[in-house]
Amino acid sequence: MSEQVTIHTEGLTKHYGDVRALVDLDLDIYRGEVFGFLGPNGAGKTTMIRTILDEIRPTAGWASILGFDTHRQSVEIRRHIGYVPGDLAMYPNLTGRDTLTYFANLRGGVDWDYVDELSDRLDADLSKKIGDLSSGNRQKVGLIQAFMNRPEVLLMDEPSSGLDPLVQREFQAMTREVVARGRTVFLSSHTLSEVQRIADRVGIIRHGRLIAVEAVAALRSKAIRKVDLYFDRPIDGARLEPVPGVRDVVVQNHHVTLSFDGHMEALLKVATDGQTLVDITTQEADLEEIFLTYYRDEEAGG
Amino acid sequence: MLATVLTKTVRDRWKAMAIGTVSLAVMLLFGMSVYRDIDLSLYTDLPEAWRALINIPDSADAASLAYGAIYEFYGALTLAALALSMGSASIAGEERDGTLGLLLGNPTSRTAVLASKAGSMLVLTAVGALLLWGAGYIVPAMLGVEVAGMQVGALVFHMFVNALFYGLLAMAIGAWTGSRGLASGTAVGIMVVSFFAVGLLPLVPGLEGLAKAFPWYYFNGSDPVTGGVSWPHAAVLLTGCALFVMAAVVGVNRRDLKSQTVGVALVDRLRSNPLTKSVADRLAGSTRVSRIWIKTASEHQGLLFVTAALMFFMMGVLIGPMYTAIEDAFGNIADEFPEAVMALVGNGDMSTPEGWYQVETFGLMAPIAVMVVSIAIGARALAGEEANRTMGLLLANPISRSAIVLEKAFAMVLYALAVGAATFVGVGLGSLLGGLGMNMFNIAATSLLATLLGLVFGALALAVSAGVGRVRIAIFVPVGAALTFHLLNAFLPLSDSLAGYARWSPFYYYLTSDPLVNGMPWGHGAVLAGLAIGLVAGSVVLFGRRDLRQTS
Repeated sequence: MSEQVTIHTEGLTKHYGDVRALVDLDLDIYRGEVFGFLGPNGAGKTTMIRTILDEIRPTAGWASILGFDTHRQSVEIRRHIGYVPGDLAMYPNLTGRDTLTYFANLRGGVDWDYVDELSDRLDADLSKKIGDLSSGNRQKVGLIQAFMNRPEVLLMDEPSSGLDPLVQREFQAMTREVVARGRTVFLSSHTLSEVQRIADRVGIIRHGRLIAVEAVAALRSKAIRKVDLYFDRPIDGARLEPVPGVRDVVVQNHHVTLSFDGHMEALLKVATDGQTLVDITTQEADLEEIFLTYYRDEEAGG
Repeated sequence: MLATVLTKTVRDRWKAMAIGTVSLAVMLLFGMSVYRDIDLSLYTDLPEAWRALINIPDSADAASLAYGAIYEFYGALTLAALALSMGSASIAGEERDGTLGLLLGNPTSRTAVLASKAGSMLVLTAVGALLLWGAGYIVPAMLGVEVAGMQVGALVFHMFVNALFYGLLAMAIGAWTGSRGLASGTAVGIMVVSFFAVGLLPLVPGLEGLAKAFPWYYFNGSDPVTGGVSWPHAAVLLTGCALFVMAAVVGVNRRDLKSQTVGVALVDRLRSNPLTKSVADRLAGSTRVSRIWIKTASEHQGLLFVTAALMFFMMGVLIGPMYTAIEDAFGNIADEFPEAVMALVGNGDMSTPEGWYQVETFGLMAPIAVMVVSIAIGARALAGEEANRTMGLLLANPISRSAIVLEKAFAMVLYALAVGAATFVGVGLGSLLGGLGMNMFNIAATSLLATLLGLVFGALALAVSAGVGRVRIAIFVPVGAALTFHLLNAFLPLSDSLAGYARWSPFYYYLTSDPLVNGMPWGHGAVLAGLAIGLVAGSVVLFGRRDLRQTS
C-alpha cells in the first residue's frame, strides 16, 4: 500500500444552526485502501460525504481529494470520483440504461463493455424504468453508475442497502478488485459485519465526532474472546465479575456467557472454585462485539 | 371519516388557502380604492354585451365594479383552482408520493380516506369563502364605499359551490385514474373552456343559449351579487358535486392502487405505439439524455404541447374568424370605449382586429401561457432535483453548478420561445383566415414581448428555486409577483397622480406601446430581456453559494 493520501480533512466542521453534525474531523485516507466509515444513524457520516463533495459547505476546516480543494476545485475532483448517495434516488421515468447514458454523457468516455460486465455481475436489469424497480434493483443501477467510469476514488454512502446477500458478495468482490488496482474506496455503513468483510481500516463516528480510527486487523487482534461456561447447577454470576478482563456477564441458569480478554487461568480458577464446571467453549469475538466493547469504553472515557 | 387524515390534510394545505384569500382581500382593497377615486360615468355608457363580458353590472358603482373584477373573476378562479389542486392530490397525490400504501396499511378503508380528503377540501374551501365574505364587508367599510343592496354573501356562496364543483371533479378523475396531472389538467381545462364559453357565447347572435351547457354559467349566470343566491343554479352545481363524489367512491375502490407513480411522458406514449416508434425512439432514447437542457426540456414536453396547441388553435387561429362573426355585436362604438375598463385585459380597442386580438389573446392569455411553461421549468429546475434527491448524483459529475443553472435556463428560454412562436403562427393564421390584414411583423413583435414578459417571471422562479431550493416557494413567489405587477399596471394608470409608478411593473413594458399597431418597442423589449438575464445571472450566484438540500 502506497502512503499517498487520497482524501484529507482538517478540522472539518459542519453546523446546522445549533446542531453540530460534524465536529473537527481530521482524517487521512490513503491510496489503495478501503476505508469504512462506521456509526449509528445520524452520526454525521452522510454530512461528511456531502461536505467533501461540495454539496454543502463546511462551517470550519477544509478538505481535499487527490490534492484538490473540495470547494474551489470541486469540478476537477468530480472528474475522478464515483459516488453512490445514501438513500439513492434517480429519475423514475428513465430506464436504467437511459440513466447511465445521461451520466456517461455528462462525464464522457465511458466504456460500455465494462458497463455490461458490471451489469451482468450485479444481475441488473437496465431495460426497466427506475420507477418500476425495487429498491435493491435501483441500488444496482446506482452502483454501476459509480463504478462505470473506473474512478480513482469511490465514495459510497451505505452502498449495499437493499442488496440481497449474493449481490452484496459480488459488490464486495468488485470493491476489492478496484482497490487492488490502486484506487481508493471510502464507504459508510452502520453494519460492522459488512465493513469487517471489505474494509482495511475503520473510522468510528458518533455525534459528529471521530472517536477512533483502527485497522481492521488491529481491532481483531484485541484478543477479546467470547466464553461460554456450563455448570452442573445454577450459579451466581457476580462471583465471576471481579476477575480481570471479564465483561458483559450474562447468567442463564446453568449457563454463563461473558466477554474476556484476560488470562484464562484466572478465570478458570474462580469458575472451578466450589462448583463443577461441566463444559467451556471459547471463540474469537467478531468485530461487532469488539466494537461494542471498545466503543462503550471510548464513550465512557470521553 | 378519519379525523387524523382530515386534520393532517388541512394542516398541509391551509397556507395556500390563507395566501390565496388574503391576496384576494388585498386586491379587493386595492381595486375598490381605485374605483372609488375615479369617475365611473364612463362605465354606464358601455354597451350591454361589453358589460356582460367583463362582469360589470348595470348600475356601475365602485363596490359592484370591484366585486365583479376581483371576486367574480380572480376570486372565483382562485378559489376553484385551490379546491381543484386539493381534489386532484387527494388520492392520486398520495399514490405519487408512495404514501397511500402506508396509509392503507392502517385499518382504514379507501372510501374513508377519500371522504376525509373531501372533508378537508370542504373545510378549507369553506374557511376561504368565509374569509372572503368577511373581507367583502370590511374592505368597503374601511374605505367608506356604499354597499347597500350588494349581496356579497350570495356571491361568495356561489364561489364556494363553484369551487367545490371543480375540486370534486378533479377528485373524481384522480380517483379513477390515479394520475394527479391528468386530474388537475382535465379539470382546469374544463374550467377554463367553460369560463370563456360563458363569457363569449352570449356575444354571438343565436348561440346565447349554449352558455347554459357550461358549468360556469351556474356560477354567475344569475348575477348573484345583485340578485342574491339562485337556488336552482346552485342546485345544478351541487348535483354535479354529488355525482362526482359517487364517481370518486366507485373509482377509487375498483382499481389497482399505484405505488410511486412513474410519470409517462408524451414521448414514452409515442414510443409504445408501433406507428410512431422509430421516430420516438430517436427522440426519447439517447437524444433525450444527451444533455442536461435536453433532458430538462423533455420532462416538460407534455405541458409545452398542450400550452402551445392551446395558444396556436384556441387563442390564435379561432379568434380571427370569430372577430368577423361577432363584429356586429359591438356595432359602431369605437369611440365610446373607456380604456380604463379594458385595463385588466390589456387595453385593446376592440373595434379593430388588433384591439380584439390584444384583449382576447395577448392581454392575458399569451403572458399566462408563457409563464405557465417557464415558471414550471424554472421552479422545478433546481429545487425539483433537490426534492427528488437527484441533485447530489447530478453534481457528482464534473459539471459546475453554474453550468447546471445555465443549461436549465436554456431549456426554459427555448420552451418560452416555442410558446411565443405558436402564438405568433396561430394569430398570423387567424388574421389570414378572418381576412383581418394585421401586420405580421407586429404580431411577431407582440409575441416576442409576451415571451420576454413570461420569461421575466420564469427567471424569477429560477432565482427563487436557486436561492431557496423549495419548489412550492419557487412557484408561489413569481405567481404572486405576476398578479401584483399585473394589477399595478392595470390600476395605477387610472389615477393621474399614480400613473407614473406603473413603470415599475414589468407589464408596463409589454403592451403600453401598442405593439400590434406600432411595431416592436425595442427599448421596452430590452428592459424585459435585461430583467430576465439579470435574474438568471442572480440564479447562478445564489445557487453557487448555498448548501444543497437533501430532502424535500
